Amino acid sequence: VKDLVLVPEALVVAAAAFLLLAGRLAWIRPAARRYLPGAVAVVALFALAIELWAGATVGTYFGGGLVQDRFALFAKAAVLLAVAMAFAVVDWTAEDSLSIGLAMPLLAAFGVMVAASAGDLVALWAGLELAAAAAVVMVSLRRPDLALRLLVTGGVASALVLTGLAFLYASVGTSDLTTMREVLFSSMPTLALAIPVFLVVSGLAVRAALAPFQLVSIPASLGASPLGAGLVLGLVAAAAATVAIKLVAALSPIPSVYSSYLEVIAAAAMVGGGAAALATRSPRARLAYLAAGQIGWVAAGLVTHYRAGLAASLFLLGAFAVAATCGPAVMGRADGGEPALAGMGVLRPARAAALALAMLSLAGAPPLAGFFGEFAVGAALAQTGSFGLLALGILGSVLSVAATAGTLRVMYIQSPLEEARRTSRLPVLTRLSSFGAVAFCVVIAAYGFLSSPILGLANQGAEALGLR
Amino acid sequence: MLIAAASPTPTPVSVPGAGIFSSPLLLSLTIWVPVALAIAIATMPNPRGRYDVLMKQIAFFTNFGLLFILFIAYNQFQTFLPTMQYEEKVPWLQAIGVTYHLGVDGPGMVMLILSALIGIASVLASLGIRERVRSYFCLLLLTQASVNGAIVARDMFVLVLFWAAASIPLALLVLGWGGPRRHPAAWRLLGYWGLGTGALLVGTMALYAATGGASFDMDVLLKTAISPRVQVAVGLLMIVAAATRLPLFPLHGWARDVYGEAPIGVAVIVAGTASRLGAYLLLRTLVAAEPAAAHLLAPLLAALAALTVGYAALVALRASDLRHAAAYLALIPGGITAFALAALSPLAIAGAVLSFFAGGLAAALIVGVCATLSDRAQSRSLQVLSGLAPRMPVLTWLLVIAGLALLGVPLLATFTSELMTFFGSFKTQPIGAFAVAAGLGVAAVALAVLFRRVLFGSPNPDAPGVSDASLGETWYMALLAGGLLWVGVFPSGPTLPGTGTPLFDPGLVNVMAAGISDIASPYAGTGP
Repeated sequence: VKDLVLVPEALVVAAAAFLLLAGRLAWIRPAARRYLPGAVAVVALFALAIELWAGATVGTYFGGGLVQDRFALFAKAAVLLAVAMAFAVVDWTAEDSLSIGLAMPLLAAFGVMVAASAGDLVALWAGLELAAAAAVVMVSLRRPDLALRLLVTGGVASALVLTGLAFLYASVGTSDLTTMREVLFSSMPTLALAIPVFLVVSGLAVRAALAPFQLVSIPASLGASPLGAGLVLGLVAAAAATVAIKLVAALSPIPSVYSSYLEVIAAAAMVGGGAAALATRSPRARLAYLAAGQIGWVAAGLVTHYRAGLAASLFLLGAFAVAATCGPAVMGRADGGEPALAGMGVLRPARAAALALAMLSLAGAPPLAGFFGEFAVGAALAQTGSFGLLALGILGSVLSVAATAGTLRVMYIQSPLEEARRTSRLPVLTRLSSFGAVAFCVVIAAYGFLSSPILGLANQGAEALGLR
Repeated sequence: MLIAAASPTPTPVSVPGAGIFSSPLLLSLTIWVPVALAIAIATMPNPRGRYDVLMKQIAFFTNFGLLFILFIAYNQFQTFLPTMQYEEKVPWLQAIGVTYHLGVDGPGMVMLILSALIGIASVLASLGIRERVRSYFCLLLLTQASVNGAIVARDMFVLVLFWAAASIPLALLVLGWGGPRRHPAAWRLLGYWGLGTGALLVGTMALYAATGGASFDMDVLLKTAISPRVQVAVGLLMIVAAATRLPLFPLHGWARDVYGEAPIGVAVIVAGTASRLGAYLLLRTLVAAEPAAAHLLAPLLAALAALTVGYAALVALRASDLRHAAAYLALIPGGITAFALAALSPLAIAGAVLSFFAGGLAAALIVGVCATLSDRAQSRSLQVLSGLAPRMPVLTWLLVIAGLALLGVPLLATFTSELMTFFGSFKTQPIGAFAVAAGLGVAAVALAVLFRRVLFGSPNPDAPGVSDASLGETWYMALLAGGLLWVGVFPSGPTLPGTGTPLFDPGLVNVMAAGISDIASPYAGTGP
């Protein structure tokens, strides 16, 4: 079984490579193109099934560069589920390229998988960069100018992360995460440690589009295709959060070097995300800010630097990855602003329900996946006495829910616009996308109700990182 | 009457029909049946509104079925058992100590019966809905499920879940089917209730942290001894949460717009049950759980209650809009309930529990009657509405009953609850009792002015045409008025003459007694 552990990664990479080659060399006949998204979604689900079956085996690979543990199992399963769902729900007529549109999310998922099973700093960085590069490619298909901005900003973020990691390596004397944790147990928090951690956290905040560092990611997601937006908002942020969780676990013996900074970032993201979501009228921008707010909750869980908090962050990250990746894909073209969604509840009931649940989950509304995750983070914050951060998080969630109610009103209560007045088309109905939307609704609802085993696995994941 | 109300039947009663229905999932049914049928309504095909009537029927029979089941459960309720009944307990989020724990005691059963009655009234009041029928009834059923969930929750996580969940469908109902000022109404509702949810959540987390962070179960969270400082902090947060719902002055900002703008069925459910949850929360988390904090915070709560009653009565007196006047009058029962809880004596606590039911029906009735009257008279301006009694006999009677119910006149359930409240509070909160009584006096003047102007003044020849209530409207208001009369006349249930054997109703006062003795035991030395 140990040899099967890397099969999901192999499947994902092989599928991405095949899709890129097939697109370039025109291997796929036009008649077969309509079946391709479904087939790739099945491949992702197959990889997920193998991960769930074989992923429980603990082991190390490539000389300790990759580690398979419960954390990796959880994060990899979550991202594979997110990608499979996104392929199923997206309106492919709104995408710029079928082959690249299928390949890049797979590569981004591979990046998250590498980061999730990273045993050292190098693999962490590589996974993050792979996910971010895939996002740049997706954005460039429609908006090269925004892709360039994303590339430059991402380059700065990457430089910050890389410089921080290099200094961290120099200060601790090892790049292995487990050894680093052991070394830090006998270390004192020093400026030499605090500065690199500051750099890394700043870089990750930019990558995760945390407020106020979302200045490029969110415009880029607004200009990209629906799946591209999902990639920027969901998978890249999930990769950054995965890296942050692993790093925080390694640095947990000296929490004072990161907790204050992380606390400020989390508070700004939670409140800023909710306030910005309330202020904006564009549905996709609203979705993006809701995502920024929820990733702030993930960061808040890390402030606790205990197993319960990191487990809650991981649990929430799963819900976030699915909702933030699939949300824009469900929404489809949103160039027409809020009126473009008018009457969607009548015209596209399954997609409207999926979009409503995605937004409500990102806002933290009960009884959906995001609420359960945020509640678990809140419980961890209470246990550590961080009531100020908890109160700010609740404020952000209240603002987010109010913002979401605005979009729900447009979808369900406003009458549909006449086709002539509609500035952008509603998503095209296909059997796959309708099925995908229903499946997405089930996943978002079931994540909360089946939260006991999922949170239990997240707990094991946090324990695998050495937290008690 | 008072003796009958204060002293429940001394022996457990056995009612014909008891034992014919039993389900270990009884309380879950009250939550998940409405949810399942809301999903069914949301997904069933409805080409060009062909099945609109069917959807209304589904909503009605869902509520009717729930009332039937709850009536049997009410009859089977062990009236002298101090523990929770119909309990369900399943581990849920074990990692953080969350259980799916449901249960009811006497006050919970009173709230459930109220919720079922209000549910039917709300659907009957909504039969006139013509636009987007599917969405309306789907959201209405979700609201009812949330309210029922908050009532039966025995785990603070479950309580927060359902407490918060109610606000979204309600806001959408106001936004989608409300009057011209529906937008500010919905946003105010979301804002105030969001503040309340935040306070409840922070209070819950503080309790969780103070009790060791092992469980959210109320049996652990509310029964573990914690420091007085934490008790007071949590108590204050719970008062804020309750004050946004009930609502109490100065957190009542949503009430005028929501009661004034919401469709009638929604206004009825908000005034009848969703807002009563505030008082229910105070009973559970402050009075029953934190006696030290309750003693310290009682003057504050009594002051808020007295201010609410006085302010609401004064503003109702000066109102120029019938629905706004009704909105302010509907705050009065909540103020009285909060005052009863602040009195902290066994009799006043029993009065508070009875006023969950009586106050809920009275508030729903005044809001519903005034909204229906405005619709039927095609105007809500008190400058226009005048001399309607001859042309609206049914609505006139119902408005008079609603007004008398607010004031607590004999033969209505509010009389019993207010009497218990005042008798139980004059010793512990004399100033507050005087202030609330004075507020009720002003409310009586406000109602008298309203009746004189709207019902018995000289008819306005320039007013639009009027018509009396339709059959559906009469039924929903009669149901609410009937509930008030029934409990007012038979607080301990009707019995076979000369035998003392209960007929089909063990009596609300007997049922609510289960659990009250436990709640009131820390305050046994105070008051009558």
